[in-house]
Amino acid sequence: MFRNAAIIGVGQSAYTRRPEPGQTVLHFMRDAVVAALKDAQLSAADIQGFAVASFSLAPDAAIDLAWKLGLSLRWIMQDTTGGSSAMNMLGHALRGVEAGAAETILVLGGDATGLAGYAKVAANFNTVTQKHLAPLGHGGPNGVYALVANRQMKQYRLQKSDYGHIAVAQREWAAKNPYAVYRTPLTMDEYLAAPMVADPLSRYDCVPVIAGAQAMIVANPGRAPKGRPGVRVRAHRGSFNYDNQEGDGLATGISTFATDLWRDAHVQPGDIDLASIYDDYPTMVLAQANDLGLIPDNDLGRFCRVNIGEKRFPVNTWGGMLSAGQPGGFAGGLNGITEAVLQLQHRAGERQVKGAKLAVATGYGMTMYRYGGTAAAAILERVE
Amino acid sequence: MSAGVTIWRCVSCRTGFFPERLLCARCHGDKFETDTVTEGTVEEISVIRHMLGQENWQPRRIASVRTSDGQGITVGLRDESGPGAIIELFQEEQAPFGRAKAK
Repeated sequence: MFRNAAIIGVGQSAYTRRPEPGQTVLHFMRDAVVAALKDAQLSAADIQGFAVASFSLAPDAAIDLAWKLGLSLRWIMQDTTGGSSAMNMLGHALRGVEAGAAETILVLGGDATGLAGYAKVAANFNTVTQKHLAPLGHGGPNGVYALVANRQMKQYRLQKSDYGHIAVAQREWAAKNPYAVYRTPLTMDEYLAAPMVADPLSRYDCVPVIAGAQAMIVANPGRAPKGRPGVRVRAHRGSFNYDNQEGDGLATGISTFATDLWRDAHVQPGDIDLASIYDDYPTMVLAQANDLGLIPDNDLGRFCRVNIGEKRFPVNTWGGMLSAGQPGGFAGGLNGITEAVLQLQHRAGERQVKGAKLAVATGYGMTMYRYGGTAAAAILERVE
Repeated sequence: MSAGVTIWRCVSCRTGFFPERLLCARCHGDKFETDTVTEGTVEEISVIRHMLGQENWQPRRIASVRTSDGQGITVGLRDESGPGAIIELFQEEQAPFGRAKAK
C-alpha cells in the first residue's frame, strides 16, 4: 500500500493516425505534459522527478527532454520495457516519492514513429528479431501474436468471434472518448469480415499505430487539487523475463505475481469495478485477465461472450489501444492507467462506470522472441 | 543455405538453447558449444498477408516449431506443411526455415 504517494494529475495530447509534417513526438509530449500539469494544478517548476519512455526519442534521452521542458530535477529515469513501461515507471515513481527522492514526479510516454518508422522498429526490435525473425518476413508483432493466438484458440477452444466481442465492446467505449482515433461503431459482422493480416488475426485484432503522448504526475496525496477524490495505489508488482521465452506465451509474467498483488492490495478480483488491460491484441487481454484471476473457471470464451459481450464487466473503457490507437506501447500503457484514474475520480464523462471505487491496470510488452517478456500491474483505489 | 539450425548447448548441463544465451538458463553455466538440430514438429502456423510499410507484399508462412531437441523456435515455412507435420530445418544466414522432410 502506497500511503504517501498517489497519482494527482493526468493529461494527454491529441491522438492522430498521421502526424502533420514537422510534428514530432516532442510536440505530442509537450501537449501531454502541459495537460497533466494543468490537471494537477502544478507548474513545471514544481516538478522534481521525471520518468519517460518512447521509441521515438533517440538520439535524445530523458535528460535532453528534461532540458527542453525546462525541468531541473533531483530524480530521473528512462524506461525500456515497452508496453509495461508506463506501469513500471508508475512503480518507480511511487517508490521514489515514498522514499523522499522527489516530491513530485512527472511520468511521460509517447511516440510518433509514423507507419514507416514503426515498421523499422518492428524489424529491429532487438538483435534476436534482426537475426532470427525479420529475415523470415515474420510480420513484426502481428506474426508473433498470430502464433500465440492460434495456440490460445486451440488450448481454450476459442472461436474467432470470441475475440470479436473484445474489439466490438472496446469500440463502443471509444465512441465515448473524444481522443480515440477510431470511434465509428463496429459490428461483429464487420469484425468477422475484416481482411486477414496474419492468420488468425484480422484488421481489428491488430493495434493501430498512431502518434500521441500521455502524462501523469505522482506526488504526496496532499499535493492533489482540493475537492477532488484521490487515487491511491494499493499494490504494484512487475515481472521481467519470467520464463526465458521457454513457455507458450499463454501465461504472462503477471502469473508470477498475481497472488502477491491481490494479497498486498487486500482485495479480490471480484471486488474490481473496471480493468485497464494492455491490449495490443485481444489474445493478450485474455492472457493477462486470466493471469489476474478475472476470468471465472479459466473459461476464456465465456468471459468474452458474457462478461465482455453482455457488458457485465468494463474492460478498457477508453476504447483501449485497439480503438483509441497505440502511440507506441509506452503511452498506450499510460492511457490505461490514466483512464483508471479518471474513472475512479468519476471524471470519465459519458463512459463513466457508475460508482467505480477499485480498478486494476496492467502493462505487457517487449516481444523478445516468441512473446512478451515484461509485465506489470497495479490495483488502484478511489480515496474520498 | 545450410542444413539444420544452429543451437547453443551448455557444456555443463547439456541443455540446448535457441537463440544464443550468455549464461545457461538451467544451471547458469557460462560455456556453450554449438550443435545442430535438423528436424522439428510444426505446432502452429500463420500466413503473413500484410506487412506494415510494404507494398506488393507476397504472403509468407511462418510456424512455431518444437525441435527434436526440445527448443521452441519460429521458422519460415517454405511449403504447405501444417500443424503436426515433421519438417526438416535449415537456415539462411542466421534465420531458421523449414519444409517437409524428403521421403
